[in-house]
Amino acid sequence: MDPDVQESAETQQSGSALVTAVSCHDIFDLSACQTDSSPLAKGAAFSFINAVQAVNQRLVKHNANEMLRFEVILLGKDCEEQIKSKIFDSAKHYGLKIGKFYFCSRGEFVRTLQANNAKLFLSTDRDDVYGALKAGVPAALLCQQADQQVQEQLKVLFSGDLIGLSEDVIDGLKDFGFSAVQIQNFKAAKGCIQEFAALIGEMRKRFGCKDSPLQTILITVLGSRDVCATALKTLRGWGLDVDEAFCLAGAPRNPILTTIQPHILWDDGLHNMKGVLPLMDMSS
Amino acid sequence: MNLNHQVTTSKGDSYCLEAMRTREHSTPTKKPTSPKPENAITIAVSSRVLFNMDVEQQIFEQKGMEEYLKYQVDHETELFKPGPAFSFIKALEAVNAQLRDLYPESEELFDVVLMTNNHAHVGVRLINSINHYKLFIERFCMTGGNSPIGYLKAYHTNLYLSADSMKVREAIEEGIAAATMFTSEKVTQVSETQLRVAFDGDAVLFSDESERIYKTQGLDKFFEHEKAHENKPLDHGPLKGFLEVLGKLQRKFYAKGHRMDCPIRTYLVTARSAASSGSRALKTLRAWGLETDEALFLAGAPKGPMLAKIKPHIFFDDQMFHIEGAAELGTVAAHVPYGIAQKLPPKKTKDAKETDSPSK
Repeated sequence: MDPDVQESAETQQSGSALVTAVSCHDIFDLSACQTDSSPLAKGAAFSFINAVQAVNQRLVKHNANEMLRFEVILLGKDCEEQIKSKIFDSAKHYGLKIGKFYFCSRGEFVRTLQANNAKLFLSTDRDDVYGALKAGVPAALLCQQADQQVQEQLKVLFSGDLIGLSEDVIDGLKDFGFSAVQIQNFKAAKGCIQEFAALIGEMRKRFGCKDSPLQTILITVLGSRDVCATALKTLRGWGLDVDEAFCLAGAPRNPILTTIQPHILWDDGLHNMKGVLPLMDMSS
Repeated sequence: MNLNHQVTTSKGDSYCLEAMRTREHSTPTKKPTSPKPENAITIAVSSRVLFNMDVEQQIFEQKGMEEYLKYQVDHETELFKPGPAFSFIKALEAVNAQLRDLYPESEELFDVVLMTNNHAHVGVRLINSINHYKLFIERFCMTGGNSPIGYLKAYHTNLYLSADSMKVREAIEEGIAAATMFTSEKVTQVSETQLRVAFDGDAVLFSDESERIYKTQGLDKFFEHEKAHENKPLDHGPLKGFLEVLGKLQRKFYAKGHRMDCPIRTYLVTARSAASSGSRALKTLRAWGLETDEALFLAGAPKGPMLAKIKPHIFFDDQMFHIEGAAELGTVAAHVPYGIAQKLPPKKTKDAKETDSPSK
């Protein structure tokens, strides 16, 4: 079955745009779907779209011909016909600048991503993210926001362990109690990260130190401060100078993540939180 | 808040990978792991109190953020000189070493966290300097301009030291013990084996309730009031909790026979007089189950000379007059911006330089 494509009037030129695919289920609440014409309720990660659009607006403000922008495309898995048009209408209702909508079956979404040159796939579903990474599609976790009010900045968070741990430590991870699946996920995440970091780095450079609509953050949980330093230098080499850095030396990361409230989390796959969305709940 | 440990070994301990690896391979430089935040006594320090950044601060003030960051990165391999909290931190590590000897399994240790407003661009330079001085600072937050309060709470911070009095005030308002530190020209040599902490009484260990009476109604009324309420404990001040945790650690040393040569020594240095108002102070401490090793009642005399004899690693007071007096004679003094002794906050200048700093 070929993926269904619907294009809206918002289609932009792809070119060097950062084509970002997001799952419908994260942007809209598809569970409580009414048959009337009211729009869908906002989903867990709805505010992400607003933050991304704010970045795009600022990019274009600096340079009307800016090619490096977020181009958001929406991915729907196993959606019924009436849901599809509801999604399309809801996006319009909320004024979301979404260029393309792809509807496909669950089994085909990775291929759909690959076919459309998605430079980034975001989902609140860990399995989806690591499935994409293993297929070589850059992917990261989309984080639930604690509250739906628009955040001032789009926050992109990278794992310092992923970037800074040395090769021999990675090979020895099983000795520290990590499962084969976790190590696989780690390697998959590591394989795809450089290009994404470079793009974000370039985008970040369009803004100054203060008052940037895009904020980049590094968090190192397991590695020592030297691992953090290695990660900082590596990212700099790839073209990204992060704004904030945290080194936890084994301390629990949830309280820190709750304070940061990131939108995008490029994780290392080592944190065993199957079925649990990445934090955002003060009681956790 | 129930904190879950994200990573566990098969034994169920949380850990830091590099340190674990060092232990497994039994290299000579065995690096200890950081304690869990809820078990440790967490001391958060900003970059400007850990290291001297006067030159860099000046560049920021005169040339702005971009130039400041460029300077930091260009000088990345250049070491920072020690800042005002440096000797205090070294003393904390000396206490930790002794605690580890006596209680190898315990996580009740000092944990120093770098808590700075600085951008992560300065990260590598800070880490290089921390490495050089072999400081045991494994945890840090470089917030890139955001408020540290959320992170201070996440680490169960017991004491926060910063060069920025606005942030210190904010922390105190949130119930976190905090004090502002300043660079000083003259610094006395202090002990490398015994941590010495000196506290003022009113508006530091105790609330400012009695100080209010003194400031509004005069000395005589103050004496009268204190005498009348001698047996009523004063309310607690922002640093009471920190004295409490020091006391807890002291008792651990006593339990192993180190009463006389305890590596932690505490001092009360108060303007109250021994003959009269001092009694209420001591009774309050006793009612709290706390004590200081020495209590010095100066009856209004300057604190500087007494502190120069004690040589504490840090002295907490709510009045800048005493802080300056202490610093003049070489004592590291930290200001607790709490209570009636504080002047109104300074009016913002046109370019808001006072509230604007790249790093704290």
